Amino acid sequence: MTDVPLTPPGPGGANPSSAEIVARGFQRYDGPRSGVLGAIRSVSWQSMRSTLGIGRPARHKIFPVIAVVIAYVPAIVFVGLAVLVGDLLDPNEVADYPGYYAFITAAILLFAGLVAPEVLVGDRRNGMLALYLSTPLHRGTYLVAKAVAIGVTLMLVTLGPPLLVLIGYTFESVGPDGFGAWMAVLGRIIVSAFAVSAALTSISMAAASITDRRAFASIGVVLIALASPAVAGALVDGAELSPNWRLIDVFSMPFELVYRVYGEPGNFPELSTFNVIAVNLAWTLGGLAVVAWRYSRLVISR
Amino acid sequence: MEFPSTRALDGLDLAVPPGVTGLVGANGAGKTTLISLMLGLLRPTSGSLSVLGLDPAKNGPELRARIGYGPERNVLPDDLRAYDFVRHLAEVKGLPRDEARTRASDSLYLVGLGEERFRALGTMSTGQRQRVKLAQAIAADPTLVVLDEPTDGLDPVQRDEMLNIIVDINRTFGIDVMLSSHVLEEVERICDHVVALDAGRLVAQGTMTELAGASGGVAVELVDIAEVPGSIDQVEQQLAAAGASVRRNGPILELSGPSDDELFDAVTAAVADAGARIRKLGVRRRTLDDVFTADVVSAEYAGRAPGANEGSDR
Repeated sequence: MTDVPLTPPGPGGANPSSAEIVARGFQRYDGPRSGVLGAIRSVSWQSMRSTLGIGRPARHKIFPVIAVVIAYVPAIVFVGLAVLVGDLLDPNEVADYPGYYAFITAAILLFAGLVAPEVLVGDRRNGMLALYLSTPLHRGTYLVAKAVAIGVTLMLVTLGPPLLVLIGYTFESVGPDGFGAWMAVLGRIIVSAFAVSAALTSISMAAASITDRRAFASIGVVLIALASPAVAGALVDGAELSPNWRLIDVFSMPFELVYRVYGEPGNFPELSTFNVIAVNLAWTLGGLAVVAWRYSRLVISR
Repeated sequence: MEFPSTRALDGLDLAVPPGVTGLVGANGAGKTTLISLMLGLLRPTSGSLSVLGLDPAKNGPELRARIGYGPERNVLPDDLRAYDFVRHLAEVKGLPRDEARTRASDSLYLVGLGEERFRALGTMSTGQRQRVKLAQAIAADPTLVVLDEPTDGLDPVQRDEMLNIIVDINRTFGIDVMLSSHVLEEVERICDHVVALDAGRLVAQGTMTELAGASGGVAVELVDIAEVPGSIDQVEQQLAAAGASVRRNGPILELSGPSDDELFDAVTAAVADAGARIRKLGVRRRTLDDVFTADVVSAEYAGRAPGANEGSDR
């Protein structure tokens, strides 16, 4: 330990000030440690920062900023309409809460295609996975941390914009009537955002666990999002198979679930709500099972 | 420890005391597999293992919180600053945020990167990256630091500096160190104990003084004199005739016999008779290289015996 006086000693060695800079150097530490939960929290937080480009060069901030802007612009427009022409036009007629997701599908897709590959593939390529597994984390808790990071980051675009609309409408007195109704809408917004985030987290994690190339994983997510509605449409509308074949539409089903959360028939009223819930659960758990299987077989290079 | 296609560790039975321990062996000897077992990242196919009094298979998270690990791979996140990298891993190891910040700086200063700590890892040299890996391994104040080839890719000056830091970590702060290396000279230089592996088998273990150092016998280096051709051959033959066991390597003769005093006398007499000249004469020192070579040869010989592969991993 080196003690460096802030001010020179006075006459006779007396120090007029008790303040001093202490360069304590490397020392042993015997204080508290946060354990596995702390490790999960830290990895999740660092992953979210990394995904959003925080603490990284500017080029890493471009895509997250674009996605966030796309997601929030409609909300800002709707709130703006409520402020400017709220007395002429009922904003709820322009876009209801479940319908809002139709405006931000591109942002959600961009985020889903970007976030998981960044969070998972990056660790495998830059050696962080091996380092994380030498900490209190094991493969399971590591994946929990990553799933939390991806899910929470996705909620930036699935939860934030509808919440902004609710708050904006409320201040303009065009929101839900009464505290009970307001809380019900809030609950539905949260459940919807959670359901969409969970499904897309799982699917994008599965895609990111299969390849070691970030770009391939991102393209995989986008392809699933574009191809599965097309295939489902071809089977039901073209080949005239059972409407239940719509359930293979991985990308549309989470948004269909949002309508059901609000008690509306949605885009595919021929599907039962039970089937919509079940298929979302199945896609979510199926995606996570793929991730768990891939990581259980992964040989960690040290 | 057995993988589907290979037996990576076989019949390993060892105890490692505190201090600086060198894990030596050629590439593929099983060093990294042993480290993975110690960290609880692999489970032994048979046998048992205890590290810092804990079973890695059962108490992996608790154990890994007390171990700092520096991997062999030199690939790190390029756009992360060294300070952020070390701080983050200290937090993952359980340190509170403020403490992790302070210790990240302290660790980077300790390894000589204090002024460089805010540089991105991608802009750092191999030597600096090795230091960053060491800094992250010690930042959370582990009881044991496990370093996999910490001097890989370093030039001689950087290697000396790195070895000095590793010794300092043990001697000054009391943190036990296990380092794996295939460079026997550096292990010999800084380690208190050695575990030598070859093809997954233990070929030697013990303290440096037990394994290397003065080994009994005499070594003499002679000068090849043009005017007296065959003088070295004559000395060799005379010493062998006197009953000494002689191993020749060019102008160097390594002798063993009943006593070193008798060997010294025999050497001076033989050299005088042959008209040879001595360049260097002294007690023979056994290097880790000698130990490893001799023990690998004997282990390979023993490995051909029936049942030599039976045993348990410990």
